[in-house]
Amino acid sequence: MKKLLILTLALLMLAGCAAQHGKTEYSEADVFAMDTFMELRAYSDESVLQGAVELIKSIESRLSVTDENSEIFKLNSGQNDSVSHETAELLKTALSICASTNGALDVTIYPVVRAWGFTTGSYRVPGADELRELLGLVDHSKVGINGDSVVLPHGMMIDLGSIAKGYTGDEVAAYLKENGVSSALLNLGGNIHAVGSKPDGSAWKIAIRDPLGGGLLGSVSVTDKAVVTSGGYERYFEQDGKKYWHIIDPSTGMPADSGLLSVTVIGENGALCDGLSTALFVMGLDGSAEYWKTHTGFEAVFLTSGGRIYVTEGLVGNFTPLGDHASEKASVIYR
Amino acid sequence: MIKTKTWVIIICATFAVSAALALIIPSLKTDGTIANVYLDGVCIRSIDLERVKTPYSFTVTSERGENTILVERGRICVQSADCPDRICVDQGWLSGSVSPIVCLPHRLIIRIERRAKSDIDAISQ
Repeated sequence: MKKLLILTLALLMLAGCAAQHGKTEYSEADVFAMDTFMELRAYSDESVLQGAVELIKSIESRLSVTDENSEIFKLNSGQNDSVSHETAELLKTALSICASTNGALDVTIYPVVRAWGFTTGSYRVPGADELRELLGLVDHSKVGINGDSVVLPHGMMIDLGSIAKGYTGDEVAAYLKENGVSSALLNLGGNIHAVGSKPDGSAWKIAIRDPLGGGLLGSVSVTDKAVVTSGGYERYFEQDGKKYWHIIDPSTGMPADSGLLSVTVIGENGALCDGLSTALFVMGLDGSAEYWKTHTGFEAVFLTSGGRIYVTEGLVGNFTPLGDHASEKASVIYR
Repeated sequence: MIKTKTWVIIICATFAVSAALALIIPSLKTDGTIANVYLDGVCIRSIDLERVKTPYSFTVTSERGENTILVERGRICVQSADCPDRICVDQGWLSGSVSPIVCLPHRLIIRIERRAKSDIDAISQ
């Protein structure tokens, strides 16, 4: 009798096992950092993600332009003339993007951005004279780096905000991979960084927000890539019926008015994608197309103020229009 | 002593019951466990509520405002929102498909359905 009972129980337990299949476990962590909300999703255990959160906080404490204890703050206020090796490397990367985009990205634009009130929320429209004077402090080519020493002319200030989230994505992705994670998705305040592919081997599907109407303008499928979007719609204020956004053209000190509503840059290097998304927004479609034809390492999606979508050739067959654009075909920029 | 023939019958019957249970139990779903989150008519996220292990929250942001959504095993709700009336928050937990959670001012809808409508993993903005 006992044997029968044991046998029956054993067989019934096997039935239970058969019903459990295909569950892929992932953990999530989120953190408020760099003035935004960040969500990390990884196919790993919780402790690795907690480590990633600590990494994000430590990066912020090094780079924050408003935190009195940060390396950048001390550099800007003249207290220090050197930074940590990691920060020096990032600054070199930032300056090289400034140089290659002929100043469309300029990390010394901070005094101007601050005058507009974008850092404090006390928005105002600076006068022409004020802007002319502040623009005298904007020139990335005047910043010198020698090892970890930084030469920053008096009055000039550095803000790595236009590249920090992309850089953070690179650092967190590397950290996760070092810790055995082969599949993760990072959403750093709208900056996306895909680590590997999804557990089933398929690519991550990343949609791009449509500033016209608030839906989605299209999607791309990526593996091991950063996807970074810049657009005036992200932060702006209105005065006397006119909109002023936070992406400033370093050559004029005014919000960049190049005919683009949003630029999305996709590539393996998050810092490059982040910096370029700002630079290309400032350059406009024609300038961006020229830049893409003469540089490598990224693809891009553009939405013009006329509502047209343009994609670089490498995205043909990958980019899929969505929502209001679903019935259109994106125009292609060929090499 | 039980005869061999009887043993065979008992074992076969047990296997049959086990197999039947293995097939039936997983499909004993009610109206679906996929929570589809729609923003402006586009499904931006599909969550299988049955697969949620630890509760988590995420925020949906649009130029109209923000809604923070809380996800637990088998149920979902709008935890907080900056819309004027907060009706979406007052609607509480959604675990069935009778009626969706709606935030009218933000054009956000959360609906429990049988199948995932969105295969979008994240939105770049």
